[in-house]
Amino acid sequence: MSSDGSSKLVGLPEAVRQNVRDGDLVFVGGFGQGVPFAIAREIARQGLSDLVLCRTGADILFDVLHASGCVKGAIFGWLGNPGIGISHVLRRAVADGSVEIEETSNFGLLLRLHAGALGIPFLPTRSLGLGEIANQAPGSHKPVLCPFTGEQMTAVSALTPDVAIVHAHRADKAGNVQLFGIAGDTLEGANAARRIVCTVEEIVDPAEIRRTADRTILPAARVAAVCHTPLGAHPSYMTGLYDRDDDAYMAFDELSRDVAQLRTFLEETIHACPDHASYVSRFVPTALRSGARGAGVPA
Amino acid sequence: MSPSATDRTLRLAWMAARLIPDECRVFVGIGAPCSAAMLARRSHAANIDMIFESGVMGADPPRLPLSTGSPSVAAGALMVGSMLDVFATLQRGEIDIGLLSGAQVDRLGNLNSTVIGDPSAPKLRLPGSGGAHDIAALARDVLILMPHEPRRFVNQVDFVTSPGHVAGRSEATGLGNGPKAVATDRALFGFPDGEMTLVGHYADIEEDAAVEHVGWPVRKADRVDLIDPPSAAIATAFRSFSGDTT
Repeated sequence: MSSDGSSKLVGLPEAVRQNVRDGDLVFVGGFGQGVPFAIAREIARQGLSDLVLCRTGADILFDVLHASGCVKGAIFGWLGNPGIGISHVLRRAVADGSVEIEETSNFGLLLRLHAGALGIPFLPTRSLGLGEIANQAPGSHKPVLCPFTGEQMTAVSALTPDVAIVHAHRADKAGNVQLFGIAGDTLEGANAARRIVCTVEEIVDPAEIRRTADRTILPAARVAAVCHTPLGAHPSYMTGLYDRDDDAYMAFDELSRDVAQLRTFLEETIHACPDHASYVSRFVPTALRSGARGAGVPA
Repeated sequence: MSPSATDRTLRLAWMAARLIPDECRVFVGIGAPCSAAMLARRSHAANIDMIFESGVMGADPPRLPLSTGSPSVAAGALMVGSMLDVFATLQRGEIDIGLLSGAQVDRLGNLNSTVIGDPSAPKLRLPGSGGAHDIAALARDVLILMPHEPRRFVNQVDFVTSPGHVAGRSEATGLGNGPKAVATDRALFGFPDGEMTLVGHYADIEEDAAVEHVGWPVRKADRVDLIDPPSAAIATAFRSFSGDTT
């Protein structure tokens, strides 16, 4: 198989159908920018269930999928509405026992994913030896002595997600993916995963990828499916293309306090929209759409 | 007359900003910690290296960012690296000061950002550690910023998310010194022998107000410094970035 030959370009529904299964451990890419909301909404539309989501700094994508009945667990370092406050869905889910939590610190989860990406069973760290976090998750944190220096460290176990969902700036049809700006833990999580589903703002010619290969973050050999999905990160942002829809995050803080309002929100934004294009036309403010049209490369 | 909410935010940021020397490398959490670093950079510490867990180094946000992954964190920065880069920098012991906040702090400087109430049946579930635990464990020194409010200063936190001066810290290798100070919008507390101790307060309030809301009989240093409230110039610098957040 040639690295710029066979096409992995598929529609978003097909990409999800072929690569995300009930019960999967799903790594969610993005960090501030590039949160793969379009894929998440398609997962909810298809009614997948029993997913376990993992992510260092998880945002309201967790809320959307849990409230849609898709999620049974979460592995995270932080879970809330970034810059705004707590996750009301997590608060209720913890109270009613509808979510299994495996928690660590952001560095701890990053190392668990990095171990998975390196193909080794654990990594040691100087962090997580004090306080109560490691005690709460003994299945993934254990004391370990360095075999060379005898130093006391904490071992964190490798995490190997079944599938990573990632949103990036652009890719060619073969699935060579390029991202600009803040990636956070996206690469560690994607490389730890068995399959990667990637939505992008723009599909470009393979020659353009070859011209700017230093910006490629994932090679086609790692990517199972690529979908042309402009504005696929909304309400998060894409560097150089569109800003974060802060109003949407703030509105979500309000509406997600109430279960009935949240249900209406999910009905309108997910189930009443047959596809991503329909969501964009109804819920992405016009001001954000103009930046995403055309070029996928920030100036 | 009690200060306005904006004033309190400024007073909190300044109480901590004063303690950030120029040229140091600071690992910055979102909210009040970020305000303090940005204010220090705009007053006496123009050359600090602000590092965010999203992977951004040499940051110089034009506006107070809403989250560590916000566009304003990357805007004008020297390097947009990876999360692994910045946590590696932290674990190598290269971070001089970690700036943190949390829902609760206790007399040993432990921070809780995980749960309020019994952890097995919490009254309120909070977002969790993020990078705070790692910063608290590994930064050479830690500055804690805490709004001076009821229920935030407790004898013992409900959950130790980010460790303070707990047993094991001094014996372990490669860990930081733990919290150096707790800054509030009224008072400054140090940890002369591992316990939170009043060492100063703003000159325009009484000592009683400086220890109000602290949920145990807090120690006071032999000398309690009187600290000048932020000047008009500092207030102007603060307003230059604290308006709209992105």
